[in-house]
Amino acid sequence: MTLLRVEQACCHFGSLIAVDQVSLVVEPGELRAVIGPNGAGKTTFFNLISGYITPTRGRIMFDSQDITAMPPHRRVALGMARTFQITEIFPELTVRDNFRIPVELAAGHRLRPWLSRADRDAVRNTVDSLLEMSGLASKADRLVGELSHGDQRATEIMMALALKPRLLLLDEPTAGMGDQETYDITQLIRRLHKDQKLSIVLIEHDMRVVFHLADRIMVLAEGNMLAEGTPEQISANPQVQAAYLGTAA
Amino acid sequence: MTERTQKAAVLAAIWIVLLAAPSWLPAVGGYTDLGTRILVMALASMALNFLLGFTGVLSFGHAAYFGLGAYGTAMTIKYLVPSTLLGMLVGVIVGTLAAMVIGALIARLRGVYFAMVTIAFGQVFYFITFRWNDVTGGDDGLTGWQRVPIDLGFARIDLSNGDVYFYFVLLFFALATAAMALILRSPFGRTLLAIRENERRARFLGIPVERHIWLSFVVSCFFVSLAGCLNALLDNFTDPRALRWDMSGNFVIMAVLGGMRSFWGPLIGAAIFVALQDFVSSRTENWMSIIGLVFVLIVLFFPRGILGILRRRSAQ
Amino acid sequence: MTQLILFSVFNGLVVGAFYALMALGLSLILNLSGVINFAHGGFLAIGAYIAYSLSPYLGFWGGLVVAPFLTAVLGLIVERLLIRRLYGRDPLYSLLLTFGLAYIFEDLTRLIWGAQSVPYQVPAILTSPLSTQFFFLTGYRVFMVALVAVAVIGLFLILNRTRLGLRIRAGTRDLETVSALGVNVHVLRNLNFGLGIYLAGLAGVLAAGQLGLQPTIGTSLIMPSFVAIIVGGLGSLPGTLLGGLLIGVAQGVVTIKYPSATEAIMYVIMAVVLLVRPRGLLGEEGRLH
Repeated sequence: MTLLRVEQACCHFGSLIAVDQVSLVVEPGELRAVIGPNGAGKTTFFNLISGYITPTRGRIMFDSQDITAMPPHRRVALGMARTFQITEIFPELTVRDNFRIPVELAAGHRLRPWLSRADRDAVRNTVDSLLEMSGLASKADRLVGELSHGDQRATEIMMALALKPRLLLLDEPTAGMGDQETYDITQLIRRLHKDQKLSIVLIEHDMRVVFHLADRIMVLAEGNMLAEGTPEQISANPQVQAAYLGTAA
Repeated sequence: MTERTQKAAVLAAIWIVLLAAPSWLPAVGGYTDLGTRILVMALASMALNFLLGFTGVLSFGHAAYFGLGAYGTAMTIKYLVPSTLLGMLVGVIVGTLAAMVIGALIARLRGVYFAMVTIAFGQVFYFITFRWNDVTGGDDGLTGWQRVPIDLGFARIDLSNGDVYFYFVLLFFALATAAMALILRSPFGRTLLAIRENERRARFLGIPVERHIWLSFVVSCFFVSLAGCLNALLDNFTDPRALRWDMSGNFVIMAVLGGMRSFWGPLIGAAIFVALQDFVSSRTENWMSIIGLVFVLIVLFFPRGILGILRRRSAQ
Repeated sequence: MTQLILFSVFNGLVVGAFYALMALGLSLILNLSGVINFAHGGFLAIGAYIAYSLSPYLGFWGGLVVAPFLTAVLGLIVERLLIRRLYGRDPLYSLLLTFGLAYIFEDLTRLIWGAQSVPYQVPAILTSPLSTQFFFLTGYRVFMVALVAVAVIGLFLILNRTRLGLRIRAGTRDLETVSALGVNVHVLRNLNFGLGIYLAGLAGVLAAGQLGLQPTIGTSLIMPSFVAIIVGGLGSLPGTLLGGLLIGVAQGVVTIKYPSATEAIMYVIMAVVLLVRPRGLLGEEGRLH
């Protein structure tokens, strides 16, 4: 069964066409990369999927449910989580609290004025295992705003993961990272995909990361879909080479 | 000393100082009613700070709910039942209901726009009390009523005594602050921190942000109207100034002066501000200039507030 | 009856013109600098009192020309010394600062000019009714509305035709880009603040002739100006103008039957607008956040 289906999505800002009739199908367990030069409409496309903006035309289905006009928080409840190109975290809270908030939300404690001991322990255990998995356990009580860029990116991904999503949307997870950090994050994403069979859509600039991770790749250029296929097909596609790989090299 | 024992020690110190206030206040040139006023204003400012410091939403119109609490109490005691507790109940209900309605209108707004709309809405009830002479006493305020002793059956609490009323207020202050602290430490409280820290992240973690801001607004106004009730009872009087814009500004400056990011900050801010206001207004006609200057100086030189500065010092 | 309605509508128009003039100044400052200038009413009062003090020497007309300029100069100084320090910080701080200034201004006017209200002499040529049938059309009121109209047209000409105005408008949309293009943002915000305060000063002189002078003259006019901005829509000067006139006329009309609902009506309008169209009548999309 298809997890995400975007049908002919369009997004216009006045006369500017940011995304023009782009379709996408993501199957469960798939890792899909979206690439394209700057201004290709990748982030806008992500914003359409996650509900940050509503498409001008077209339809978005998640798990065979129409979510085209659904507000973001309800998409999250259906199992969709995302990260942002510019890290969005809670800078003046500790790493632990950054994790605890999505864990409590995922457990349905959103409006609870207090927790039973059992619930509290369950939350703590989940938070601890997330800390362990992210390698941030030793920094658990530090404020996230004080951590390195790489640790902040990792925090954001783990926060999205803490929601126990069925689909994870990652907007340039390695943006602004050094080689070692890029490698660490790539390995983390790979583990999530391979070990936990998590479905992931990611936007990425770093071609090494894309070709290393992706099952299939979609190429956007100037708001249109240029090509779609396996990494091999994409790297062999002359159109893509001209429009994208050529300029990137 | 671990952080936990340190916190417990501070908490114990706060409560000892507050409990003993009627005995030490005269020694430093104060009086019991001044202490009561500080508690009332601190409660109002802490309630505002629930929204301002812990949800990150700037309301500049909280005097409206403070005043509704005051008038609700005063009018109930004067016209309906001579009962202090019933008066307070009505006051709190009226204030909270108004907050529910107005909160629903403004929860979608943000930043300066939110602040501006709260300022404007804050004045609605001012004009109503001002204009509705026959019932509210208009500009002269509502007199001819007073706090009524509470009969518990086995004992009678004589609230007309200033010291007794101080402890009466302290009881409500304790209950209200405990409730707010509890909420802030709950999962719901953490969603509010999340909204303050990063609204976009909060939204994309699945928090219906508008609904939570509305809830936070209502909780905040509930406690502010409680403070309003207690304020009217302290004076056995209330007038439209209780819900005018300058009162809203006072709540905000008390929170900022003490430190918006700390739970007890507004208490310290209120203690300083109320004492200063009392001192200045009894000595000069031009107290407005001095209070205004205090606003300016705080903004320019102490934007983090007293506790904010202390915390930063200790962190370094 | 027709006459009564005409009278009320015209009355409302006069009041609305005041609100609009004051609200336009507030709006200018808010749009470019993100500052809610609570002291706007205080500037208005100072403008009025300066005109009052000058009128023995310069007469009404001289005061009308000079006082708003002097008020604007005071505005430039206040912006340069105090408000500039707060740009880029939480809007809470500029709001509190101007709040404190509002206190100080009101107290200073009381200290300098006294707490009692004083009359402000308007030339005889402006006080007589223009016709016996429409007795309410005193020259002064017509003059006021006309002058506000001139000021508004002037403001829009400045914003659309002069280099300063174009920069202000561009800065309102995207200050960073304007700054990157080499415009001195400090100077721009300073002059923009001065322009806003000039309008407050002008409103002050006009208000003095209509309402007489008292230290609280500004505070009583500032709330309707806030409402005018909210109703008209944040970020839109034409909206602010429309909002001001709308609530003024609404107040005028309501006064016929329910004089005690004069203030209430503008809040009713505001509530309805927020309910139906949260960004205000002419507000731009996306300004809400």
